[in-house]
Amino acid sequence: MKNKILMFWFIVIIVITSCVIILNKPTKLGLDLVGGSRLILEAQPTETVAKITPEIMKTLLFAIEQRVNKMGVAETVVQQVGEKRLLVEIPDVQDLKEAKAILGETAELEFKKESKNSEGAIDWVSTGLTGKDLNRASVETDSTGHWVVSLEFNNNGANKFAELTKELVGKQMAIFFSGSEVSAPRVNEPIYGGKAQISGDFSYEEAERMVNLLNAGALPVPAEIVEENTVGATLGADSIEKSKKAGIIGLSAVMLFMLLFYRVPGIIADIALVIYSLILFALFKTIPVTLTLAGIAGFILSVGMAVDANILIFERTKEELRDGRNLFTAINSGFDRAFTSIFDSNMTTIITCTILYLLGTSIVKGFALTLAIGVIVSMFTAITVTKNFMHLIFGTGELKHPALFGLRKDEIGKGYEAVETKREKARFGILD
Amino acid sequence: MIQTGRKHILHIVKYRWIWMALTVLLLTPGIIAMIYSSVTYANHSPLKVGIDYTGGTILQYGLTQKISNEDLTATRKSLDDAGIENPYLQILNVNTEQQGKTKSNIQSIISIRTKFIQKNDDTADKITQVLTREYETPELISVNSVGPTLGKELFKNSLIAVALAFLGIIAYLSFRFKFDYALAAILGVMHDVIFVTGIFSILGLVYNVQIDGLFITAILTVIGFSVHDTIVVFDRIRENLRYYSKKMSFGEIVDASVNQTLARSINTSLTTLITLFALYFWGGVTTKDFVLAMILGIAIGTYSSIFFCSMLVDFWNDKKTATVA
Repeated sequence: MKNKILMFWFIVIIVITSCVIILNKPTKLGLDLVGGSRLILEAQPTETVAKITPEIMKTLLFAIEQRVNKMGVAETVVQQVGEKRLLVEIPDVQDLKEAKAILGETAELEFKKESKNSEGAIDWVSTGLTGKDLNRASVETDSTGHWVVSLEFNNNGANKFAELTKELVGKQMAIFFSGSEVSAPRVNEPIYGGKAQISGDFSYEEAERMVNLLNAGALPVPAEIVEENTVGATLGADSIEKSKKAGIIGLSAVMLFMLLFYRVPGIIADIALVIYSLILFALFKTIPVTLTLAGIAGFILSVGMAVDANILIFERTKEELRDGRNLFTAINSGFDRAFTSIFDSNMTTIITCTILYLLGTSIVKGFALTLAIGVIVSMFTAITVTKNFMHLIFGTGELKHPALFGLRKDEIGKGYEAVETKREKARFGILD
Repeated sequence: MIQTGRKHILHIVKYRWIWMALTVLLLTPGIIAMIYSSVTYANHSPLKVGIDYTGGTILQYGLTQKISNEDLTATRKSLDDAGIENPYLQILNVNTEQQGKTKSNIQSIISIRTKFIQKNDDTADKITQVLTREYETPELISVNSVGPTLGKELFKNSLIAVALAFLGIIAYLSFRFKFDYALAAILGVMHDVIFVTGIFSILGLVYNVQIDGLFITAILTVIGFSVHDTIVVFDRIRENLRYYSKKMSFGEIVDASVNQTLARSINTSLTTLITLFALYFWGGVTTKDFVLAMILGIAIGTYSSIFFCSMLVDFWNDKKTATVA
């Protein structure tokens, strides 16, 4: 009995810890609940870059991260998924179209010079001076009051730029941005000192966007949006409200059912269910697991499985009681015999969850994770909480009031016929 | 005799043929629908698949008014005129009584599906323009877009996931029980999967219901649950065999085991169904089909583990003993 009381206090401590965590830590809610955009970008091979290597992905990730950070939105996520894709999450995005345009743009700055091809037409060819040679870019106005993009080269870039302008005196030099020509000024004299301006009839917004992109760095390869998921904040709020309501109604109905069908053990199962939910939520907040709509569905389903563990145990205990065992033995063997079922069935659920987690898309992943954690926690609460409370409440004597278990008096003690080995008798504490 | 604690014993083995006939009856309509769909749909798929698997874009707008079918037809025509390729429209009506604390006054949601909208494409703007002309203050509440190549990849991955789940379960059950049991459990799972996909195939034909990524999740959950249920029965058969195999026939043991676990099987399914029905009636609009798939799957999963799987195990055992004798 001493162990039982110790266990009881252990459970109390866990519950208190869970409550403290739940009250103090914020819940991480998915974009489908708070509103926001989830984009999948795919790196596109070009003529010059035929294969997407891990190094290219690293550079791409960094550049995209820089750009996303520039949007000034909190809690953005940029991470690589698979070999050539990036996942970008932007909560509360103001102008999605603009955001998408910014993400996909290669933003490669190139200085080009004229070259006559074989047919005598003029072509622009690369000079080797690119956005990589920049120190920084900024928005300024020129003497006529127009917005210009002012460039400051690094040492290497300054030298290259000086060489180039020396070579091109009297000729045109073109500035290309993201593959299209922005301006093609005539070079009047060599420019030393590593500074230049791009003037191209920009609006302030255009100039600012270009500056931001230049400062964030060019993408090594173009990235295309292959998947998009945007949920408005109103729809998200609506989903949360509805999930909460559905969850509360569902849980209360289940608790009522357990109470009516299993009586006192039903109450214990209900308490165990509340403790289960508390532990689970505390875990979700500590890990942290991002809660999405599918994740909530996974949670509600795991409640079903948690209740199942209790039902299995109670049904088994009832059988043992019918066979005329005393309470202590019936509860113990009820647990022991139900446990193989609980364990085997939960293992298969965990197997499917693992497969889903490894192969699924991020929505499916959220579902699998919450379900798997739920199943594991449910095994713990069934073994510790339910068993402990059953022993504490019912004690060790004979069952005097069968109604407590929802049994009739005449059902009890029809005699036990099962042939058990000595070892099993010892395990269940059966005395001949 | 094994005590079952039940007055009326459910005879699985004795009425084997009834359960087989019932199974055939349950599965046939769905199978016919799937065959019909495979022949008639342009992409030869047994189910109506959504953008998750074909690629495309779905825009959803919240409206502050209810929409009738005539409104929808008119909007479809205007979209056609605006040069939108094959728009597919749907109305999701929001139950205003459940709105509760949310401040939005959205009465209905119109969902427009079209081809995959590229980066520099003004299709989305065009659609917004058309809707602004026809309705008061439409609000773009969600955009869902999947590229065509990604769609194919998702489809392939989903099938691989289902196949792997099957293999994983067979391996685990063969290890914990016997290969016979594993096979019976898997056949039971297939039974359930065919039933659910069959119903969704019918829903696709009749109500245009399309399956998305969440559908596969639902199927995988149903697989997990169905095996879960079956194992509880098998576990009992395994246990009873240890004690009674000399005194009783295999069929009697199967019957007794099913009856012993019957209360549990039904109660567990009931509690899970209670939560699922709560999700169906009070939960979000977006997860309705997902929840429906699970409700169907869990109901049929309970049937299959009580009747179908245990019947199979007994059937094989009969065949084996017959060949031995």
